[in-house]
Amino acid sequence: MRTSRGAAGPLFVAPFLVLFALLFLAPLGYAAYLSLFQHKLIGGTVFVGLDNYVKAVADPQFLHGVLRVAAFFVLQVPVMLLLALLFALALDSGLTRLAKVVRLGIFVPYAVPSVIAALMWGYLYGPDYGPFAQLGRFFDVPVPRFLGDSWILGSIANIVTWEFVGYNMIILYAALRAIPKELYEAAAVDGAGAWRIAWSVKLPALRPALLLTLLFSVIGSFQLFNEPKLLHDLVPTVIDTAYTANFYAYSLAFTGQQVNYAATVSFLLGLVIVIVSYAVMLTANRRRAS
Amino acid sequence: MTRRSTPLTIVMVAALAYFLLPLVWLVIAATKSTQDLFTTFGLWFSRAPQLFTNIGTTVTHDGGVFAQWLLNTVSYAVVSALGAAFLAATAGYGFAKFSFRGHGVGFNLVIGAIMVPTTALAIPTYLLFSQAGLVNTPWAVILPSLINPLGLYLMRVYAQDAVPDSLIEAARIDGAGEARIFFGIALRLLAPGLVTVVLLTLVTTWNNYFLPLIMLNDPRLYPITVGLASWAAQAQNGGAGASSEMLPLVVTGSLLSIIPLVVAFLLLQRYWQSGLAAGAVKQ
Amino acid sequence: MPQLTRRSFLAAMGATSLTAALAACGGGDSGAATQPASQADIDKAMTTPTELTFWTWVPDIEDEVALFTKKYPAIKVKVVNAGQGTPHYTKLRTALQAGSGAPDVVQIEFQYIPTFTVIDALLDLRPYGAATLKDEFVDWTWAQISGQNGEIWAIPQDTGPMGMLYRQDIFDQHGITVPSTWDEFAAAARTLHAADPNVYLTNFAANQAAAWHGLMWQAGAKPYVSTSKSDITIDVDGEVTRKLAKYWGGLAAEGVIGVETDFTDAWYTALNNGKYATWLTAAWGPVFLSGSAKATAGKWRAAPLPQWDSAKPSSGNWGGSTSAVIRSTKNPIAAARFAQFLNSDAESAKMFATKQFLYPPTTALLRDPSFVDQPLDFYGGQTVNKVFAEIGDTVNLDFQWPPFLDQVVTDFTETVGKSLTDRTDTVAALGQWQSRLTTFAKNQGFTVR
Repeated sequence: MRTSRGAAGPLFVAPFLVLFALLFLAPLGYAAYLSLFQHKLIGGTVFVGLDNYVKAVADPQFLHGVLRVAAFFVLQVPVMLLLALLFALALDSGLTRLAKVVRLGIFVPYAVPSVIAALMWGYLYGPDYGPFAQLGRFFDVPVPRFLGDSWILGSIANIVTWEFVGYNMIILYAALRAIPKELYEAAAVDGAGAWRIAWSVKLPALRPALLLTLLFSVIGSFQLFNEPKLLHDLVPTVIDTAYTANFYAYSLAFTGQQVNYAATVSFLLGLVIVIVSYAVMLTANRRRAS
Repeated sequence: MTRRSTPLTIVMVAALAYFLLPLVWLVIAATKSTQDLFTTFGLWFSRAPQLFTNIGTTVTHDGGVFAQWLLNTVSYAVVSALGAAFLAATAGYGFAKFSFRGHGVGFNLVIGAIMVPTTALAIPTYLLFSQAGLVNTPWAVILPSLINPLGLYLMRVYAQDAVPDSLIEAARIDGAGEARIFFGIALRLLAPGLVTVVLLTLVTTWNNYFLPLIMLNDPRLYPITVGLASWAAQAQNGGAGASSEMLPLVVTGSLLSIIPLVVAFLLLQRYWQSGLAAGAVKQ
Repeated sequence: MPQLTRRSFLAAMGATSLTAALAACGGGDSGAATQPASQADIDKAMTTPTELTFWTWVPDIEDEVALFTKKYPAIKVKVVNAGQGTPHYTKLRTALQAGSGAPDVVQIEFQYIPTFTVIDALLDLRPYGAATLKDEFVDWTWAQISGQNGEIWAIPQDTGPMGMLYRQDIFDQHGITVPSTWDEFAAAARTLHAADPNVYLTNFAANQAAAWHGLMWQAGAKPYVSTSKSDITIDVDGEVTRKLAKYWGGLAAEGVIGVETDFTDAWYTALNNGKYATWLTAAWGPVFLSGSAKATAGKWRAAPLPQWDSAKPSSGNWGGSTSAVIRSTKNPIAAARFAQFLNSDAESAKMFATKQFLYPPTTALLRDPSFVDQPLDFYGGQTVNKVFAEIGDTVNLDFQWPPFLDQVVTDFTETVGKSLTDRTDTVAALGQWQSRLTTFAKNQGFTVR
């Protein structure tokens, strides 16, 4: 219950909001301002209004980048969340030995910075000297070219899944642990077995947590940057500098020196993310209502 | 349920093996010399393991800059984490317990901020910071990390649940000022949520790569992520000055840098659960 | 017309308010006068306490810097390693854009000089006595650092004329003679790979635009020609380059050369395990290889690149750095004299060659027997420096670089490089590269001929 106590409320939120305004709103506004100009090496800076936006919407590199992260989202997020769910359920069920060890082990990759994760997986994926390839040659079993054109998106998806399953699992696991005992007792009275309990008691209780992880995954997928950028140094002809929309914005700003156009691309990407996030939330709420 | 399922255990252990595989590679690779890295099988040791030599080289290279990087990372992460948690707590409490004009808009604005791609803000922030003379200082890394929208969300939820209105009312009736109530009563009740935000921000800042990369020029200020990446770049850019001798340092350095966080995770496990549960279960 | 007026008003407003934040370096306000500094001015500057910031990635360069500070104790030099290659240039550009944080003296590779002179980032060194150094350096290096109006933008520090390092033992094993023409090279590639499918004659790294440019340079191509700051003729798919594309694309399509990314774990391993029998590389290559492929010590030799025309041997350059002064420096005299000293002082220059093994651009060292006649064990006792000194004499004089090298490199990797990895039509990829660059240049306001 909220009360209005004069200046108390605003004073409490002020430190955060002031910093937020300075560190977030100000740069954001500046970026919006920048996106209305164009800077040329010969000719300097020129006001172009919405020309940059018109150009971006028709820019094949931008559109491909967005489509690619959309494909990534559809491919990677369900797999990752499903795995997180299965692991959380398995650990919560009490049927697993070494539960604590397994839980920690699955979570540890979250502590690894993506720079190091890319280093490790880049090595493991190596077509000549990576262990998978070597074992494949030893046992005469064909091993996919992880860093080749057809598999690269899957390989990146694997790295991201590896990094974040544990994090999502812990959120779901925590939600499971918070289910009141009474619900289990009621189900036991009804004679429900382990699977029934999972379906009717646990899953509904997980709904809010699942929605949370889904939303984070939307944002994370569409903003995908770290892993493609780090693998780009390994296979620059397979992962180009516009591989994801965020990477494209980065390349424009830092390599192409087109800061203004980069700001435009970033804004449009942010718009896409907002739209998809709301779509996801609306679908989830409609499902709940029905 | 005391009956254990062996098939399920096997499946979970297999999953565990998958998650630990790259780390196993890292440990093994850290025991090898440069030549061994290139000539031996990746998932098994070489004939002459030299883990301690590698550790020694890593720690003493370039005047002990690795230790400096670790120190930087710790200080950036700890300061950011404590600051972010405090800011999130005060603001979360304010949003949860008070109604004032614009509180809804303010809150939603902050949460919406999570959706903005970081690259959009990188250059403008850099330009603004350099006007303020903050570029190439630790503040360039710490200040942006103090704003944690997820932390704000978690603290608001936590404040709503863990601090009963009745307690606040009682304190007010007793004549306590709002600040007294917050610092004396509420903060203690918010502690588990605070710890979660501390840990979340700690991990995010510890692993931050992009922001320090553009903000810092002086290698003495780098956090460990940027430092290791710069060593890796030295092995990978060709030209005069390149050296494959950096590779064992990169590998060993990576291993050494992961250990502190993993240990922290081990020790602070239960806080993760309770804090994240609050945000996950309530909506 | 009201619309025009409003537009130009907004443009002016935008320009003025952006200038503060986006000022591409100091423009003309803090640039030095083009009057030559008098000896009195120089002496005064060199004895006034000053601190210079020097961005460089050359390891252990503090030793050479110490020689300078010993002679001029009033001047302190802070050496900062802001990254190697692209990250270094990105940081430099960002600092210049922001108008603060840029160093006084900076390491710039030859190929990047026009990229920085187009944004007026570098200081012309003529007023500070740099012109007297001309005869101390090999002529093509001096041409590389000279501007369109005779400016001296930087002092050469090291070079990378291109040659070929080959595995004598693999050649002997398969009866291959050292190829002296590109035709012989192609034939040897086919023979070798047919005899042993695990070995390739060479690896042409699909990401290595620098090597490609070096080979273009050797073949006599002039892909970028500027007569003034704002115009450029882009010709990356001319006759000469098509010849190159057909050649390398053909070999890649036949599968007789490797096309993997270089300087990666996998590539180092490949070199150590004898997967590649040659490495087409620059003069810094021999020392680099001896440190990175220890498993193959003693088996390599050096030779000039195969030639298109045996009667007129030529070569190109890959890499090599210079020291340049940033125009917005507050200490132009001290910075300029430092850059000159570092690279032309006899002791300092010799140290670069003997301690960091940088390949020298000074004529003195290249005629110095103690450098040139040095036998290298990794190469079976061959006097490798002599081979490269002779190659250095054949590097073409007039090869220009574009004023937007990053874009060129990225576009190369995504068009030509990709065609090599995918083994598709490289000549067509050249056309794509050409059109991408032309579009970019036009967008950036250049007059493209």
